[in-house]
Amino acid sequence: MVQFSEAQMAKVNQIIARYPEGKQKSALLPLLHLAQDSFGGWLSAETMDYVAELLQITPIEVYEVATFYSMYNTKPVGKYLFEVCQTGPCMLNGSDNIIDYIGKTLGIKPGETTTDGLFTLKTVECLGACGYAPMMQLGKHYREHLTKEKVDAIIAECRSAAAANN
Amino acid sequence: MGRKLLLEKAHVEGIRSFEVYRREGGYRSVEKALKTMSPEEIVEEVKKSGLRGRGGAGFPAGMKWSFIAKPEGVPRHLVCNADESEPGTFKDRYLMEFIPHLLIEGLIVSSFALGSNATYIYIRGEYAWIPDILEEAIAEAKANGFLGKNILGTGFDCEIYVQRGAGAYICGEETALIESLEGKRGNPRIKPPFPAIKGVWGRPTVVNNVETLASVVPIINEGGEEYAKIGVGKSTGTKLISACGNINKPGVFEIDMTISVEEFIYSDEYCGGIANGKRLKACIPGGSSVPILPANLMLKTAKGETRYMNYESLSDGGFATGSMMGSGGFIVLDEDQCVVRNTYSLARFYRHESCGQCSPCREGTGWMEKLLYRLEKGEGKSSDIDLLWDIQRKIEGNTICPLGDAAAWPVAAAIRHFRDEFEWHVSHAAEAQTRNFGLAHYSDPIHVPA
Repeated sequence: MVQFSEAQMAKVNQIIARYPEGKQKSALLPLLHLAQDSFGGWLSAETMDYVAELLQITPIEVYEVATFYSMYNTKPVGKYLFEVCQTGPCMLNGSDNIIDYIGKTLGIKPGETTTDGLFTLKTVECLGACGYAPMMQLGKHYREHLTKEKVDAIIAECRSAAAANN
Repeated sequence: MGRKLLLEKAHVEGIRSFEVYRREGGYRSVEKALKTMSPEEIVEEVKKSGLRGRGGAGFPAGMKWSFIAKPEGVPRHLVCNADESEPGTFKDRYLMEFIPHLLIEGLIVSSFALGSNATYIYIRGEYAWIPDILEEAIAEAKANGFLGKNILGTGFDCEIYVQRGAGAYICGEETALIESLEGKRGNPRIKPPFPAIKGVWGRPTVVNNVETLASVVPIINEGGEEYAKIGVGKSTGTKLISACGNINKPGVFEIDMTISVEEFIYSDEYCGGIANGKRLKACIPGGSSVPILPANLMLKTAKGETRYMNYESLSDGGFATGSMMGSGGFIVLDEDQCVVRNTYSLARFYRHESCGQCSPCREGTGWMEKLLYRLEKGEGKSSDIDLLWDIQRKIEGNTICPLGDAAAWPVAAAIRHFRDEFEWHVSHAAEAQTRNFGLAHYSDPIHVPA
């Protein structure tokens, strides 16, 4: 069952308290981030309904927001989500080659997840790191000035982190 | 070397901490503003400074502040737009990441001027590590009496909250941002009413860019008139430029708007010249939405005069032969880059980011992407170029928000200045898959500084 822990609920209430009385819907985006981070990296219908209940809004109000913003995953993703920027300035610096290389190395196309469930490759539009291109987002942080060697190192790093957690 | 008002201290060891920032002269503007000035006087100083909104539109900040409605008993809000998403733009990220207290300081003074007791920083969701930095700075400011209840004993209360977006370029548009802050899809609102009358939760709201609000600090410290002496004409103060593309030194630079484009591109103090010894083909000087210019028009205006890095000079010649300062996202293309391909990439971006509310933008951005894809792949027809031109004309000015214009302008400028390159992609379709057009479209030898 989808449920925030006591500590997470304290955070939820702290977020809701930022807004005027009765405007708790404003907490929707922060709560969806928290829910996605807490419940497997994506937003299931069950998770979205739970958030709706917490904020006393209708489920459709959550669904329409979750599907509008590109950072919310409405389908399961791999443990490590590679979000590689492909917009203008990154393209000028060879992002297409990096996307191809990651795809070949992992044996997947953009939008797909490896069969072991470890990696998902996703192309994204401008992440505001144009001076440090090509780049990708991995979890909370950016990986910049990507080269094939760096990509190899990142993949190895993820694999060993996953192995250590098992 | 020009004056630095924002980033001068950005590399002082430990400047992210309150202690070091304060020791370096930080938070003086809060003391000055809250203890010796009235909110009206602060607005007046910002007006005198000539500060123009640094998010892209360039609207005078002091004037925007003076529009805020003050109905009795209704709270007002300041919202900081940190949704930096215009391709080529990464200056606000730099400021927030390296000198976060400067933004917090600017926010406190601006909140006081506008009467905002609850101020929100709306930051793009992908900058996921920066809210921690900002919240740390906010906590420190609060612990030292610069935020919270009864700031510095003046009776002014103010809280600052950080809210993350979740991946939507459109939320940089201020009414979309407000919708998003209210927990909705980022669909821009029809204006009027403007946010200054009815903004977040129906309350009077001012939305300003990060750099704009940080600039309030030097304006209060030095006075609006002193600030206005820096720069030239209506381009007062300093401007952060984020430079990227095919240059030797990509990064964020603070310029005083009196330098030439040529100096900016080729001087080691700034971009350090074109990477790999290549020649300059084109620039997009103010973020992906502004018109792309070929090298000759980028370095000199159509009249043959030197072009400078300021609002007036960059737009000299209008859209026929000029461009815009925009957000200060400076994108450089070297001789090996393909303008058709670059335009396709940007068109794909705008199609992805259209909120879908207005038909011309929702449908038009998709058509433009498809046509450009076809042309780029060598499957286009000559009539596609005219069709593209026609579509962008039908988007521009026909949408609720400026995303439609932002999507139309790059396509229009690319065709305007590089039409022969588009035509070559049709007439030499197979060849276009194996090599780039290069600099062939220049009738005059391209200007390359020694």
